[in-house]
Amino acid sequence: MNPAGPARPGGPRFPTVTADSYRAASSPPALLARGITKSFPGVLALDRVDLEVTEGEVHAVLGQNGAGKTTLMNVLFGLVQPDAGEVYVWGRPARFRSPHDALACGIGMVHQTRRLVPAHTVLENLVLGHPQARGLLDLRSAQRELEALAERYGVHVDLGARVWQLSEGEKQWVEILKALYAGARILILDEPTSALTPPEVQVLLRAIRSLVDEHGVTVVLVTHKLPVVRAVARTVTVLRAGRMVARLPVSDVQDQELVQYMVGQEVALPSMAASPDRGPAVLEVEGLSAYNDKGLLSLRGVSFTVHAGEILGVAGVTGNGQEELAQVLAGLRPAASGRVRLLGRDVTHASPLERWHLGMGYVPAERAEVATIGPLSLVDNTGLNYHFDPAYTPRGLLDRALLERLTRQILATFRVKAPHPYVQARQLSGGNLQKLVLGRVLSRQPRVLVAHLPTQGLDVEAATFVRAQLLEAKARGAGVLLISEDLDEIFAVSDRVGALYEGRFVALVAREETDPETVGAWMAGLRGRSP
Amino acid sequence: MRLAGLSVSVQRAEATSPARVAVGALGAVLLALALASILFWTAGAGPWTAYRIALGYAFANPSGLGATLQRAVYLLLCTLAFLVPLRGGLWNIGLPGQVYAGALAAFAVALRAGAREAGGVAFTSLILTLMPAAAALAGAVLGGLVGFLRAKLSVNEILVTMMLNSVMFWLTSDFIKEGGALMSATAEGESFTLPEGLRPPLALGLPPSALLALGAAAAVDWVFLRAASGYRVRAFGLNPQAARYAGIDPVRVTLWVFLLGGAFAGLAGYHYFAAVPGLYKIPTNYGYYGDLAFYGIICALIARGSGVAAIPMALLFAGLSVGGRFAQGALRLPFGVDYALLGLLMITFVLSHLVDRYRVVWRRVPPELPTPAPPHVEGVR
Repeated sequence: MNPAGPARPGGPRFPTVTADSYRAASSPPALLARGITKSFPGVLALDRVDLEVTEGEVHAVLGQNGAGKTTLMNVLFGLVQPDAGEVYVWGRPARFRSPHDALACGIGMVHQTRRLVPAHTVLENLVLGHPQARGLLDLRSAQRELEALAERYGVHVDLGARVWQLSEGEKQWVEILKALYAGARILILDEPTSALTPPEVQVLLRAIRSLVDEHGVTVVLVTHKLPVVRAVARTVTVLRAGRMVARLPVSDVQDQELVQYMVGQEVALPSMAASPDRGPAVLEVEGLSAYNDKGLLSLRGVSFTVHAGEILGVAGVTGNGQEELAQVLAGLRPAASGRVRLLGRDVTHASPLERWHLGMGYVPAERAEVATIGPLSLVDNTGLNYHFDPAYTPRGLLDRALLERLTRQILATFRVKAPHPYVQARQLSGGNLQKLVLGRVLSRQPRVLVAHLPTQGLDVEAATFVRAQLLEAKARGAGVLLISEDLDEIFAVSDRVGALYEGRFVALVAREETDPETVGAWMAGLRGRSP
Repeated sequence: MRLAGLSVSVQRAEATSPARVAVGALGAVLLALALASILFWTAGAGPWTAYRIALGYAFANPSGLGATLQRAVYLLLCTLAFLVPLRGGLWNIGLPGQVYAGALAAFAVALRAGAREAGGVAFTSLILTLMPAAAALAGAVLGGLVGFLRAKLSVNEILVTMMLNSVMFWLTSDFIKEGGALMSATAEGESFTLPEGLRPPLALGLPPSALLALGAAAAVDWVFLRAASGYRVRAFGLNPQAARYAGIDPVRVTLWVFLLGGAFAGLAGYHYFAAVPGLYKIPTNYGYYGDLAFYGIICALIARGSGVAAIPMALLFAGLSVGGRFAQGALRLPFGVDYALLGLLMITFVLSHLVDRYRVVWRRVPPELPTPAPPHVEGVR
């Protein structure tokens, strides 16, 4: 069969090359998925996706965030039940009700986040959940087996060490070893390089090659990084917005072509209202660096300026320093070095409260975890942006009547669907919550607005509304920093466009001087940088 | 879990109504009494008789009722000491230590005022005000130390408060033993007794600290409901991340709730040792009163963070501990039956919370589709 299928409406515009030439005529593919469809409430995550993985190859699954990569892998590992479609393992039909079934068929998965017990030893973690480990544990014989296995694969992990003592790279090794120990011959690695330092990435890529070449393991590698695909994969399947758009041998395809598949061609430049002349600089950032929660320097010396009345769009795949950038600007994460000036004042070490007072508005990506308090009412949640405002706290008491009036106003202006202003915030849907948060922050008339993934997970109508509000804030003279993964969005509203990759700006140019494809390439790390 | 074509799952309940909470609390009390009656019964006493004696003494006998009320005031202050940090998401397990600190400070003030000297005390009304003030200050300092460590150095507040309890227990012992600064004239391992002039006036048998406790319970609720500062504490307790986002300073919140909590516990120490008739000293068994302070934790949890709702809980626990001890003596029950009753109450209240927070959901499961046998795999094992 031809996995790319005949041209579908909205499908690829490029000729697809099948990998039939790789396959030994007689042996069935190690893993074959056909017509996998999965919808979640309001989202079609996978739309008739095909995947064909030849035995003994590294097969990359490439796509932007939200393309459906992880959902597809969860289907193949039995974590998610598809609505339609079939899975064949070594040519035999398989239906997985749980990861246990997938493991029994020889499929193992290493997730993006670690799933180990930190307080236990490596050995205990490896034995935990093993198909044969029921009831009594025979740790000694398991240790002998695992030592032999580790030696065979050339893995150096101290079985007696506690998991919390290990580095991220070592923990990943434990998970890979665990999958192999459980009998996996097809290994799914979901964004395996995302938590690793560059030297660890090199070690991992070498090891993947050795697993495949010397031990006959088949690897499905999920990534958004083109250099990683180049380094190890033989075949690549590209997903975009829940559809399979290409399946190609890596050696036959140019990077630019892959970027076009990933980004798509639908990006049309919308007409924008004539923006007022760029005003003075309101946010100046110089050589800003910051550590992430794991202690890695994930923001590495970025510099930029946001002017009044402009939107600066920062593109990038999550995990390339955007979160750290947003948090440092909001005062929620210390800067390792560099300087931040807000309306000319140095606020590098200012508290979040001082920044609110000075006119900084921050819309965090985590609307349910950071921007709102679930068990509190919408009125009380509005208080998060007003508890420090003397007009709303006469004599130190919260003026609930005033807060309620403001909340009603926000609900009406921002078209938030809520039964009444005293409903708990956690009862609102994601889109309504986001409109509420944006409304709250904009009601303060901030001079600088930092919006991180403001339309993530929103339906088209809500997303359009949010973008219109960003444009309106700009029209009112605010300087807006929009951090987003969505190129359509970036190009729809930004005056200037930049892309973060591994904590640095790949480029920062006026929107007219670039196009979504180029920025897509920046996001994927193309600019002559090795993974 | 699956049972005959039905899937059974336990899910979090979305919201609870006050009526449900009240029914749950009542059910918990009745269940605990029912379970404890098994204990009474095996100990050879009729449960009905035991409860009649215990509750009759605690709530109907004049001297029993007096003891119950004094203890309830003490428990209420301890409850507030735990409740204020709890609203900020922090656990003040240091109630006994802060109680001892309050008692020591109050007696130190009395000592400085000449309480142990023959000549009597001048300016008694000033000293009578200074004693509870010093007690609150000492409790606040001890609590503030914990808050500071927690806020600045992220030191676990539970561990620090527990260790400070031990420190304060032995420090108290050192102050009241033979040769200690606060020892009694006869050196019997207890503090000196307050002279008449330093015993606070009583109204209906209760010292002013009783009124203070009631007022504080209402004030605490009001602050959390209306004041911007109370709002900040609540926001921080419910979601520290959101609080930080909103510009609420975690260090200030942590420090303030522990200062205030410690002050309430210090006042509790003043009340029980320096204001309750019949005591007016730090007795040899001060550790027993310190341990009682822990019931403040249970009261605060059952009252779900409301000071006013904690008033009946404090009365209930005070009455059962006073009456249980009395019934134990009257019926010659084995030692510890009163403790067992209080312990059962805690368990049933926690149970009622769980029942309240979760719902058991039954759902039909469609029959399973057959799974094909996995292909033979060249395993690595």
